[in-house]
Amino acid sequence: MLANIEARYGLDQPLWKQLWDYMSNIILHFDFGPSFKFKDRDVNDIIAQGFPISLTYGSLAFVVATLVGVGLGVWAAIRHNTFIDYFAVTLGIAAQALPNFIMGPILILTFTLWLGILPGGGWNGGQWQYLIMPVIALSTSYMGNIARLTRSSMLEVLNSNFIRTARAKGLPMRAVIWRHAMKPTLLPVVSYLGPVFVYVLTGSVFVDLYFSTGGLGQAYVGSALTRDYAVLLGVTILYGVLTVFVNLLTDLAYAWFDPKIRY
Amino acid sequence: MTQTTRFALAALLSSTMLTGAAMAASHVPEGVTLADDQTFTYRVLDEHSSVDPQVVEDVTGSEIVRDLFEGLMNQDEDGNLVPGVATGYEVSDDKLTYTFTLRDNAKWSNGDPVVAGDFVYAWNRAADPALASPYQWFIELMSIEGASEIIAGTAEPGTLGVTAVDDHTLEVKLTSPLPYFPQMTTHATTFPAPQKVIEEFGEDWTKPENIVSNGAYVLTEHLPNERSVRERNEMYWDNENTIIDKTIALVINDENVALTRYLAGELDRTEIPAGQYPKMSQDYPDEATSFPRLCNYYYTFNVSEGGPEAFKDVNVRKALALAVDRDIIVEKVMQGGQPPAYTFTPAAVAGFEPPALEWASMTQADRDAMAKDLLAEAGYGPDNPLEFEMVYNTSDDHEKVAVALSQMWKSKLGVQATLANMEWKVFLEERGNQNFDMARGAWCGDYNEASTFLDLLDSQSGYNDGKFSNARVDELLENAKTADDTGPLYTEVEEIIYDEMPVIPIYHYAGVYMLDTDLGNWPVNNVEQNWYSKNLYKIAE
Amino acid sequence: MAFGSSVKAAQIADDVTDVLPVKGRSLLQDAYRRFIRNKAAMASVVVLGLIVLFVLIGPLFAQWDNEEIDWERMGDIATSGMPSIENGHYFGLDELGRDLYSRVIQATGTSLLVGVVGAATALIIGTTFGLIAGYVGGRIDSGMMRFVDILLAIPTTLIIILLMVIAGRSFLMLFVALGAFGWLTMARIVRAQTLSLKNREFIEAARAAGVSEGTIMVRHILPNLIGVVIVYASLLVPEMILTESFISFLGLGISEPYTSLGKLIAEGAGTMAYGTTWQLLYPLFFYVAIIMTMFFIGDGLRDALDPKDR
Repeated sequence: MLANIEARYGLDQPLWKQLWDYMSNIILHFDFGPSFKFKDRDVNDIIAQGFPISLTYGSLAFVVATLVGVGLGVWAAIRHNTFIDYFAVTLGIAAQALPNFIMGPILILTFTLWLGILPGGGWNGGQWQYLIMPVIALSTSYMGNIARLTRSSMLEVLNSNFIRTARAKGLPMRAVIWRHAMKPTLLPVVSYLGPVFVYVLTGSVFVDLYFSTGGLGQAYVGSALTRDYAVLLGVTILYGVLTVFVNLLTDLAYAWFDPKIRY
Repeated sequence: MTQTTRFALAALLSSTMLTGAAMAASHVPEGVTLADDQTFTYRVLDEHSSVDPQVVEDVTGSEIVRDLFEGLMNQDEDGNLVPGVATGYEVSDDKLTYTFTLRDNAKWSNGDPVVAGDFVYAWNRAADPALASPYQWFIELMSIEGASEIIAGTAEPGTLGVTAVDDHTLEVKLTSPLPYFPQMTTHATTFPAPQKVIEEFGEDWTKPENIVSNGAYVLTEHLPNERSVRERNEMYWDNENTIIDKTIALVINDENVALTRYLAGELDRTEIPAGQYPKMSQDYPDEATSFPRLCNYYYTFNVSEGGPEAFKDVNVRKALALAVDRDIIVEKVMQGGQPPAYTFTPAAVAGFEPPALEWASMTQADRDAMAKDLLAEAGYGPDNPLEFEMVYNTSDDHEKVAVALSQMWKSKLGVQATLANMEWKVFLEERGNQNFDMARGAWCGDYNEASTFLDLLDSQSGYNDGKFSNARVDELLENAKTADDTGPLYTEVEEIIYDEMPVIPIYHYAGVYMLDTDLGNWPVNNVEQNWYSKNLYKIAE
Repeated sequence: MAFGSSVKAAQIADDVTDVLPVKGRSLLQDAYRRFIRNKAAMASVVVLGLIVLFVLIGPLFAQWDNEEIDWERMGDIATSGMPSIENGHYFGLDELGRDLYSRVIQATGTSLLVGVVGAATALIIGTTFGLIAGYVGGRIDSGMMRFVDILLAIPTTLIIILLMVIAGRSFLMLFVALGAFGWLTMARIVRAQTLSLKNREFIEAARAAGVSEGTIMVRHILPNLIGVVIVYASLLVPEMILTESFISFLGLGISEPYTSLGKLIAEGAGTMAYGTTWQLLYPLFFYVAIIMTMFFIGDGLRDALDPKDR
């Protein structure tokens, strides 16, 4: 029996051969091999099923966090030291200080049990009702971070000489902000967004656990907990490649935002 | 309250069946209006291991497999044996040959007839080392000729003592008489398998687009860790009596979230978290349900060579077992109507009469006093406190029990128990390798007979992780396999367990569910909880 | 907030370092004065001090042990387990009938310890690694930094989970796991800073005077790194606490009968629909208080060490 199992996973081969097969299968065929836990699904199946789900609500959460976060931060900076500023700062810090896993039960109790307007979990082919709570839960803490970052960056930019010059020339505030202040403000934000995109995808673990969305986060943690190394390694490599790719995009975006950088 | 009404309902059902009222389906009582939407949705804790009948090893998966496939025999609402693919069976005088007669209208979902050969193929497949089924041992347990040899690798796969005399006659040869053999044919491992499909698709045959099954349902959708959907199989021989059109299993890891979603009306059935049953039965008296189940909950001592020295002393083992206040565990921790356990075998097991053991009738104060004396006798006390580690698999409920136990020992006996938890798979591995002092254990009967529990303490059992070994127990269990009256044998085994205390029985499981009032015919009397969607129905509200 | 996501911190730290060396001796005194003037940061220091004080002297007022079960009241927590001065359960009882007051104290202590020890581990490893890579330079530097880059590409929270699963759960393992992956960004910052320092005139001067390489590293470069290291470490503390709470939420953190704030919050959040909201609110209060004060203190330190007027 043992021999059969070993043959199935190629464990009867010498170690270097196992590694070689594993690597060449990945590179040549994009094949991560069989799962140690599920007989009828291999690692590719698991990734193919979970990744689109994580990607869908992850990207949405990313977009929501960026738009709301930047908007809130800019608004707070323009109205520096007013009620709105304090409100935005408190909200930003609170969103960051609350552990994101308590968002799950709070949202489910509110929207599912008390208001009864949203389904309490599941994926169901990605219908919009099923997306709302995962996206809110996932985006909040990043939103807070982005708002804080945008606010302080915008404040710095607004105090710089070239903005003062523009203002002195009599340009209206709105035009100054949109045409001159926005790009340099977003510079540090953009460099933060790259990693956030990856974290939104990997950090989806608690979303998968609470909302039963069936994404890759759960498969990943599940594989770690059950020591399904094949899945674990496959997803890790996927995330690694993704990180490198996103870092590249970030660098390109950075170059666009910062005229000083030329490749 | 709830229980009585439900039992009454069940009684009503069986009487209806006796009068043979001509109805759309025999299991719907008169006066019940069926709902238009016959969809049953329930919560499962975890993704199932497989829907391959010979591979599946978990309860969740078996529930699905019982709907997708049909074995020789089925169980009714009370756990009694009723015909499945087989209309009946005959036993030879020496009780070594069983002949099953298969119905001629049974079909696979692709229209092919279900024949005896499908069972021959499936059973050989389960025993075949190439499949490496986790339930391979079950075929051996069934005592089928050749099973042990095939599993050991000394005989060719495919030579199992099971033959298709013709398309509708299946003959099984046993190595020794086994009174509960027919009961074992309700287990998923013995269900037929479609050879053509398996050979065509290999391991992918269980995917919704490939699978062919012979049960009342076919698998139509499966999103791992999210849901699996099974829908009515039009080819099923008893299709016209099947009422539920669609059954959906939703994976919800968090039991509190599951309860919330149940209360929001998304589910028809979910488990009630430990400690919440009283509140639920107060707020939802018609929905909160508790009934006995065929599972025990215990802690096992490691009495193997490498185990801790202290546990080799029977007085220590007894002291710890006596100091456990089971009433607190069941009434204040679990609170779900679980019976406290003073025997290893649950009282709910068919034909098992729990022996009147001394400690079951003592007061807790007396037990505590006895425990203190025994521990002092063993040489442990304030100057020499007993210390050990207890392990359990990660779960909120197990943690609560473990914490309560360790506090009982600490406050009553001054014993210092350290807690450690592990994930299920890791836990099984560590426990199987005797890398523990004391470990949690639980067993659900594979069939409704005391031996499925007591066999765990047989020195040869693969699941005897504490490595308890007692020649008399082995002998009694061996005799019980062929004995006509097993009662006295099992009583003696339980008495030895009390004297030797290799395990600490804590409680016996109860099924503690929220069951929607519009769900009809949930088999609360089936202690194995072998339920079939085809026997359920949804009532119009 | 995910673990190790402080690109922002790196950015800030870079800002700080641009100016640091030029400011000379009075820098720390200046920074101290600026920090004192920062109201939010000073208020946070006071609040954090009170929390630490609570952890230290709180147990003196406790009437119950943190692992002791109140057998009388267990089993009916929702009605008899409420916070009460009379029966000595000031913060009420947890699901199993244990005193939440004692458990919150113990959990707060644990979380603070995790934050401080985790950040300290990261600080020591990260500084040493970055200093050596930056100072030695060349191929060794590239090799060391590629190693960091590779580790950074792996989702760290998940690797910590794996470590906890394989090595088994223990307090020590938790620190090791947190520290083992918290130092990466720190190493990058320190290396960049070292690179910019090592060709400065005062280092050249020290070298010309015959000071050994080791001494230069420890005596001349290291002191100039303190500003950036402090700022980053102060931001690491809440990150460590957040990560630990996430791991506890998954059921992999500290094991019973000990607990951490993250674990208490996860338990409280799970049962809040059953009318036992105090089980969530008390730990959540301390948790949010610690995280927020640490953020403000971190911000204050950055502002203090960064002379650019904001």
